[in-house]
Amino acid sequence: MINGTVIDLSRLQFAATALYHFLFVPLTLGMSFLLAAMETVYVTTGRPIYRRMAMFWGRLFMINFALGVATGLTMEFQFGTNWSFYSSFVGDIFGAPLAIEGLMAFFMESTFIGLMVFGWHRLSKGQHLAVTWLVALASNLSALWILVANGFMQDPQGAAFDPTTMRMHLTSFQDLIFSPDAQSKFVHTSIAGYVTGAIFVAGVSAYYLLRNRHVELAKRSFRMAVLFGVLATIGVVTLGDALGFVDAQAQPTKLAAMEGLWKTEPAPLPLNLIAFPDQAQQRNHGAVQIPAVLSLLETHSLDGTVPAIDALERQAVRQVEDGIPAVQALQTLSRNPEDPAALAQFNAHREDLGYGFLVQRYAPDLTRVTPAEIRQAARDSIPPVAAVFWSFRVMVGTGLAMLAFFVLATLYSLRNRIQEKPWLLKLAMGMIPVPFLANEAGWLVAELGRQPWTVYGVLPTWMSVSTHSVGYMAFSLIGFVALYSTFIAIEMYLMVRTIRIGPPEARGPRGPQPRPRPMPAGGAFATAPHAARTGD
Amino acid sequence: MRSFLYFLLFMVVAVMIIVLAAILGDEGAWYFAWLIGTTMIVLVSAAGGAMLDASEGAGPQGGDSTEHG
Repeated sequence: MINGTVIDLSRLQFAATALYHFLFVPLTLGMSFLLAAMETVYVTTGRPIYRRMAMFWGRLFMINFALGVATGLTMEFQFGTNWSFYSSFVGDIFGAPLAIEGLMAFFMESTFIGLMVFGWHRLSKGQHLAVTWLVALASNLSALWILVANGFMQDPQGAAFDPTTMRMHLTSFQDLIFSPDAQSKFVHTSIAGYVTGAIFVAGVSAYYLLRNRHVELAKRSFRMAVLFGVLATIGVVTLGDALGFVDAQAQPTKLAAMEGLWKTEPAPLPLNLIAFPDQAQQRNHGAVQIPAVLSLLETHSLDGTVPAIDALERQAVRQVEDGIPAVQALQTLSRNPEDPAALAQFNAHREDLGYGFLVQRYAPDLTRVTPAEIRQAARDSIPPVAAVFWSFRVMVGTGLAMLAFFVLATLYSLRNRIQEKPWLLKLAMGMIPVPFLANEAGWLVAELGRQPWTVYGVLPTWMSVSTHSVGYMAFSLIGFVALYSTFIAIEMYLMVRTIRIGPPEARGPRGPQPRPRPMPAGGAFATAPHAARTGD
Repeated sequence: MRSFLYFLLFMVVAVMIIVLAAILGDEGAWYFAWLIGTTMIVLVSAAGGAMLDASEGAGPQGGDSTEHG
């Protein structure tokens, strides 16, 4: 039996590295398309200010991209080092999208980023624009494949367990990539990245406008960012609703935890706006409710209802009881794969195999399993409600706050009155951390809500980990946290430094013209900081 | 000849878009929505920048006279 502390440390290590990595990724996803928008205006209008915009924001994009890649690499290795049973069990399915993601990120995306950075003086305007668009597309397609893999963990489609190999096999690649969970998750996450990019560009532009520096560039950047952001935020809220609708079908325990729904109630269901869920007593404390809203949100109808935790636990008891013969048959088949009786028994109960695994944590010998152990396994099938409930509210609350900000900022920007509103510019700067908080909270909802499974309803988390020692896991966790904290510090330092230096100032038509300098390797990006220092 | 090649290129792109839209519209409506939505967001954002130039009556240099490398 695997040590419980090793399971917790393995989860903590993956969570820590993923949370660090997910600070960088959304900004890359969003800024890449904002760069494409800026360069599109440059190519269509020929106005050099948009070229300076694309180059300046491109430099910040590059800092973020480089550190994002560095933090992402180790995560892929963790599947093999810390989650070896998981990798063996679902590697036939999970490996394909992960490999395609690697190809997208390290071949397509990195190649075009190289051309984007070094190509300003080597490619024509049109060619460079095409490269910038391809960087944006490749960044987001790279995310697509990770989210297809994650979508499989949330709602395993296109795969089946093979009792002769003891592994899951891919049955339909089409079902895997077009699963509703993968689709809605990709669109929601990708557009959340657009919101992050837009808030970042608007916030930094506001910093320049408040200090009356680089005003023309900042005004245009702010305008483009808030328009980009207001549409993206509307999209992310709408697609969040779609994802909730999908989860209501595919992951009812996650939905019940998100809404703190302990007891089955008749429709229309009220929404718990605020509550303090108590998992031990299976009830909420201090709930503030809005009548009928949950039915509307989750079923788009006043008559609709969703299963509560009490009903889901009763169902899980039946599934655990049904899964036990499946695991027992599998034990027989592992000794004799040709045993027809065991195969028939397995096929009769295969749907609930995962629930049989769930109870094995408490009863390694399933012939001696007790009703109390079955009830405990059923209770385990509910994710940590308070953490999911509050992460969800942080995500939704910050999302709505960003929507309100973007609507206001768009209004003033379209009236060309943004510089008359210093409080709004200060607010824009203050908003910079908000999408990062929203993204992390969203990730917690998705992944804590999937517990106690690595593959929902199929493979429990406790079975998925490698059999390392506690010391090894603790040591490597401390190492990762120290290394990644250093990466964050480096990113913050480089970002702040680049923002303080600012974009290179435009040279006026009558002003003194600096002598042309020979272009070093690295082209425009390499010379820009120097130009900026002299320009400021 | 150059115009003809461009015509061919754009026709190929158009046919690819139609095929992609037909497949995605059928199998992956959310992916299709992402393609359309992203394009729209980028173009509206780009139009916002161009509108600002127009409303300020900027000259052909749009507040800038020379390029910086």
